[in-house]
Amino acid sequence: MSDAQTKGQLASAISSEVMIEINQMNKWYGAFHVLKDINLTVHKGERIVICGPSGSGKSTLIRCINALEEHQEGDIIVDGFKLGKNLKNLDHIRTEVGMVFQNFNLFPHLTILENLTLGPVWVRKMNKADAIETAMKYLERVKIPEQADKYPGQLSGGQQQRVAIARSLCMSPKIMLFDEPTSALDPEMIKEVLDVMVDLADTGMTMIVVTHEMGFAKTIADEVVFMDEGDIVERNNPDAFFGNPEHERTQKFLSQIL
Amino acid sequence: MAIIKAEKTPDRSAPVSETSVMGWLHKNLFSSAFNTLLTLFTLYIIYLTASGVYGWGLRDATFAAENRRECYDYSLTGACWAGVIDWLDNIFYGRYPREEIWRINFGGLLLALWMAPLWMGRVKGKVLVGVTVVVFYPFLAGYLFSGGDKGFFMQVMVTGAIVAFAINMANMITGLTKNMGLNAFIIQMLEQGKAPDKTQRNILLLLLAIAFAAAFVWQVNWTVEGVSWTKWGGLFLTLVISGIGIASALPGGIILALGRRSKLPIVRVLSTGFIEVFRSVPLITVLFMATTMFPLFMPEGFVLNKLVQVIIAVILFNACYMAETVRAGLQAIPKGQFEGAHTIGLGYWGTMGLIIMPQALKHMIPNIVGSFIGLLKDTTLVSIIGLFDILGMLRSISKDVPWLGLHKEPLVFGAILFFIICFSMSKYSRHLEVKLSAGHKH
Repeated sequence: MSDAQTKGQLASAISSEVMIEINQMNKWYGAFHVLKDINLTVHKGERIVICGPSGSGKSTLIRCINALEEHQEGDIIVDGFKLGKNLKNLDHIRTEVGMVFQNFNLFPHLTILENLTLGPVWVRKMNKADAIETAMKYLERVKIPEQADKYPGQLSGGQQQRVAIARSLCMSPKIMLFDEPTSALDPEMIKEVLDVMVDLADTGMTMIVVTHEMGFAKTIADEVVFMDEGDIVERNNPDAFFGNPEHERTQKFLSQIL
Repeated sequence: MAIIKAEKTPDRSAPVSETSVMGWLHKNLFSSAFNTLLTLFTLYIIYLTASGVYGWGLRDATFAAENRRECYDYSLTGACWAGVIDWLDNIFYGRYPREEIWRINFGGLLLALWMAPLWMGRVKGKVLVGVTVVVFYPFLAGYLFSGGDKGFFMQVMVTGAIVAFAINMANMITGLTKNMGLNAFIIQMLEQGKAPDKTQRNILLLLLAIAFAAAFVWQVNWTVEGVSWTKWGGLFLTLVISGIGIASALPGGIILALGRRSKLPIVRVLSTGFIEVFRSVPLITVLFMATTMFPLFMPEGFVLNKLVQVIIAVILFNACYMAETVRAGLQAIPKGQFEGAHTIGLGYWGTMGLIIMPQALKHMIPNIVGSFIGLLKDTTLVSIIGLFDILGMLRSISKDVPWLGLHKEPLVFGAILFFIICFSMSKYSRHLEVKLSAGHKH
């Protein structure tokens, strides 16, 4: 357990403003029905943890939110913009929604600093000096400013994932999505990444996190969402979710991992 | 369990067989009786070949003679290099007028100078150097080689080339001496370093306009005598065709490969069809098509010279091969890179230009250089449709009266020439690979 995790539940920073609204959303991969009648509302500052067995559609759900995957039915409205064929909306959503992947997806041919300034300079049209300043600020926040001139391949997994988080933050997104950010890491590196995420949660960022780290979920989550076979089965606050799961599939899942 | 070793074991030196020359010989060449036999046999074969080549090519060879008969008088078994030496100018420059050959050499020198900054670590703005050389140099060189009257478009491009070359050279000098770009140097000289970005840019644009105007006025009176393309030949022609082919096959290939992977079905089908048609036809067929069929499809009175047709054919053919090389490189890039680019908001061209292509091109260098070498060698096919490229020239030596029947020596000379060029390219590509992968190991 990390220090941050043991200090208990973070203060909630939820406002009444709706950040993400998903209505009756369905998605198929070919003939396979991955997501079924998904309804989910996320407010500004809310921190949602999504858990569930593998293949339950958790990753697909958050990948739909920033348009990495297309959905076929229903609506996804992010920051007031509806996801769909409208390319303007799509550009807006991609810049406002940051995402952190299981495999980091850093750009191996660029230095850490170049990884961080690429988006601000080319997409946000920021002045290069300002972009570097912002990048260094976030590198300090994820506690690796001394690695700025190295290449991703020279860093450990935990460091790479922290760079990936900083890279997303440099775009000053309104929402951060995390797709199993610690699953590809060695055990001793998980803590450093989780600590950074707890710090981030503390700043009031809207976050959706797919993870199997239940201790982390208890610390930061305002709500825990349990998914199984494409359905949202149960949604509850962490105390109730872990202390008193209602659905039998949730109980079974929790008994297997805790 | 008890302690096995209380002290750290000190390192000992390796056995002799691992470090000495004798040890290496014993291990690799004479480890068994059979191995020893094989080694001796191979050495004998090498000796036979080397002594034969030496005897024919150097010891018994004739280097100075008026004609083939004199060669035979000197030695019956040696090579007659005198014929090749007599024809050297033709081999390199074709039938280009002898007093105008300086233009070809000057063009080559310009190209070497223009590209030189690409290899200098301290010079800034390498991308600009690369772009200007591809955009402007062909026009300057084209005029230099063919001469005659310049049309208005040609005048503009030649002016652009002169200005670009001058800027490039000045930039190289400031880079080497002051370690700064030309633009920074000019701003510093004018003491405008504190001025806002916009003012600085306007000053530079004004200077550029003045330079362009001055160069334009100068070049109006600069003319060189016209030389018909029919007089072009030899290694010069080979390098012109393959140089243009190399410079345009890569961009063309990138565009076709992106087209083939496009999400738009019409673009994809057209690119795929184009690539497959050109790839499934031999180059010689494409060349014949270009020179005999192509004019039939053109409006009446529309005449392109044969050289241009050949160059177009070579470009299209090689762009299609390059497209497949590029596509293979693109496929080696993991999907996560596209997704990473997507999440920081990069669009299609940003993703391709900044993230995917730089990585893919690095993987493709060996294949790209392989294609370039193939292209260089394939251009010798143009001798079949009646252009006197290097192969055409080498083969005409045997039809020249004093050297009648001299086949072997010119072809061996050609082979050596090609080997030198291709081997340098191959070596350079190895060097490039090592250099590019030094920065970031995966």
